[in-house]
Amino acid sequence: MRELALPESVLMSVSKPERYIGHEINSVIKDKNKVDIRFAMCFPDVYEIGMSHLGIQILYDMFNSFEDTWCERVYSPWPDLDKIMREKNIPLFGLESQEPIKNLDFLGITIQYEMCYTNILQVLELGGIPLLSTERTWEDPIVIGGGPCTYNPEPLADFFDMFYIGEGETRYRELLDVYKASRAAGDSREEFLHKAARIPGMYVPSMIDVTYKEDGTVDSFIPKYDDVPKTVLKEIVKDMDNTYYPEKPVVPFIKITQDRITLEIQRGCIRGCRFCQAGQIYRPVRERSVDYLLDKAVKLLNNTGHEEITLSSLSSSDYSGLNELLNKLIEECNNKKVNIALPSLRIDRFSLDVMNKIQDIKKSSLTFAPEAGSQRMRNIINKGLTEEDIINGATMAFKGGWTKVKLYFMLGLPFETEEDIKGIADLSNLICATFYDTVPKEERVNGHVQVVTSTSFFIPKPFTPFQWARMNTSEEFIDKAEHTKRYIMGELNQKHIKYNWHEADVSLLEGVFARGDRKLSKVILNAYKRGCIFDAWSEFYKNEEWLKAFDEEGIDTNFYTTRERYEDEVFPWDFISCGVTKAHLLREWHKAKEEKVTPNCQKQCSGCGALSFECGICVN
Amino acid sequence: MKLRIKFSKIGVLKYIGHLDLMRYFQKAFRRTDIRVKYSTGFSPHMIMSFAQALGVGVESEGEYFDVEVEDGQDVSLMKDKLNAQMAEGITVLEVTVLPEKAGNAMASVAAATYEIEFVDGNPLNEEVISKFKTLDDIPFTKTTKTGEHTFNIKDFVYEIDYLNKGFSFCCDCSSAGNLKPKFLVDTLLNMMELNPEDYLFHILRKDLFLRNSKGELVPLNCVE
Repeated sequence: MRELALPESVLMSVSKPERYIGHEINSVIKDKNKVDIRFAMCFPDVYEIGMSHLGIQILYDMFNSFEDTWCERVYSPWPDLDKIMREKNIPLFGLESQEPIKNLDFLGITIQYEMCYTNILQVLELGGIPLLSTERTWEDPIVIGGGPCTYNPEPLADFFDMFYIGEGETRYRELLDVYKASRAAGDSREEFLHKAARIPGMYVPSMIDVTYKEDGTVDSFIPKYDDVPKTVLKEIVKDMDNTYYPEKPVVPFIKITQDRITLEIQRGCIRGCRFCQAGQIYRPVRERSVDYLLDKAVKLLNNTGHEEITLSSLSSSDYSGLNELLNKLIEECNNKKVNIALPSLRIDRFSLDVMNKIQDIKKSSLTFAPEAGSQRMRNIINKGLTEEDIINGATMAFKGGWTKVKLYFMLGLPFETEEDIKGIADLSNLICATFYDTVPKEERVNGHVQVVTSTSFFIPKPFTPFQWARMNTSEEFIDKAEHTKRYIMGELNQKHIKYNWHEADVSLLEGVFARGDRKLSKVILNAYKRGCIFDAWSEFYKNEEWLKAFDEEGIDTNFYTTRERYEDEVFPWDFISCGVTKAHLLREWHKAKEEKVTPNCQKQCSGCGALSFECGICVN
Repeated sequence: MKLRIKFSKIGVLKYIGHLDLMRYFQKAFRRTDIRVKYSTGFSPHMIMSFAQALGVGVESEGEYFDVEVEDGQDVSLMKDKLNAQMAEGITVLEVTVLPEKAGNAMASVAAATYEIEFVDGNPLNEEVISKFKTLDDIPFTKTTKTGEHTFNIKDFVYEIDYLNKGFSFCCDCSSAGNLKPKFLVDTLLNMMELNPEDYLFHILRKDLFLRNSKGELVPLNCVE
């Protein structure tokens, strides 16, 4: 048993001490004297969120499969402990060794959403690591970022020594080898970073200078050395059956957000919805084989003891082996009294049958994500879901005994008109009407139908056809939400429609950082120094402080959000390539204006550029 | 087949709460090939019941839970199978087959033994322990949601002994009259005219007991 970093008096005074003690089943303990590299893998949010993330589980397993490397986990201390650690000068530690992370070679941080940026600074500061990359020495770990937000890492450029662009399974071994050689040769930190910048997928902000035009947009990217690549191409796993996948993930003591086994059945999405970043940056779609997945599922169940397994992907219905996989998995799981969860499923005859099989009695609510209320707008966003599909799905579901439906929409999409907003209310109402048309009065389980309609505010993201789009102001968002509410109130079945919408303030911030540039690092630092952390948690979000931070740093948020962008504008993230070309994205932006849809990858290749990876659906 | 499992929970695992501990054992069983019985109904769960919950921060060498397993399994192998799945700090000590009509673990608990160890030396002396033994009525007032309640703490303490590091005692641990160890520590410190808030101590539960047909306290898995 290892000595804990936190004394008993501290652990007994904070909420959920189990977050900080390590010692979980399947956590990996190595002899620190027998490894060359110590890697801290951090999810900058609370333990229950971070532990639910599959990406870290995969990389934790991969790193620890290297004999010379010991990888441990780090999460953001909850504000109650944060306060105590600052008062008592307790340095942030890795859960496995319970040693300060400052002693380690690497601090890897996964960056999953913009609202965790201040938590990154929290982790660095509590870790005793200088916040700015330029102030770090060999006394500090190499701070490396990964995850979806690194497709535009620029707002974080000052805080990271380097970023890994793309999927982590492919190049870390090479990076660790370069690191070992560099340390053995007595290289300076700068010399190491220079060598690292030559590894495919690696981006070292200090090795590329950015110049700006008079209007504030980017003029050019200038590598510091001739041998530093001008473009960083994302890394990608080509064979999903021949790569790292954990068989013994850590089993937490406390209930975490996703307290189950995650089986990633495929990566990428064929759909190409124009608002969706994941649909572009993870191209092309690559499936894992049914045999591979079943083998993993059995081992994972035996090694964790979890009661539930979830099939994870961006669109499970598009997985070609779904029927076969589910039939075999149901057999395996029924024996062990294990539930199967199937998110991201299209509602059709097949999926309803499946849900009947796996959920026998409990008829939880069904979820549709039309994203837009009118067919015109669904064409603009290239959401290949028609009103007929939705109504057919709902009809089948109501016949099968479901009475609750959840609907997800977005407000503030490009080219939106009042009719599109009204369409949200009309579609919600039509689903209610469908229930009463489908189910005879005497067969209605709860007597009535319940529709929950939720809207979120659209935020344009890099590497999507909508990266050129103007984002709405907070006032426009709130106004549109109020219109939606009013339209719903005016519907015949309004009694059975519940309407939810999100706060607009956080959306603004997300919008700024999503398409931000290096000038924003100082704003993040300013907001952090004003006490902003856990911005993703509404109870801790301090909008006033953020506005002051922008003001004090002389940054106009409209430049990043509501400004109209030129078609030939150089974006801050243009030196990164996700395989999908900017020319393709621009073509799609034009097609959106013309309300034309693009067939999905299964039907027809749209020439997006991902073919250059020579894998997945592009070659099969 | 009903089993009573005795286990210890020491070291850093003392921070694991009661509900999490139940989930921990459910997952541990699922990692073995021991076939546990499930309840019927909408959401089947393992048929498992724990004796008196252990507070967060308290260690124990004698915890118990009952579990129903399918008949026809070799009970002698189960201790090792479970111990192969334990986190460092929890050890399965004994697996006992219960008679059909045995009461469940929770309802059976009558008493518990504890050891208290003060972190910075023992502020108590043998005199205060002797004095505690001789007095008939020692009132203690606890504050709960419903207000202040005063009771005679002597009614709940069956045995008490001085130790160099602190003291040991045996007290009522039934669902009706469970005595919190801290109450006794506070009482003794108060008797010495010391402020309880100044002293850090560790609590170790030594064992849980049931009362047999002769009225004797015996460990919870000595079921007749």
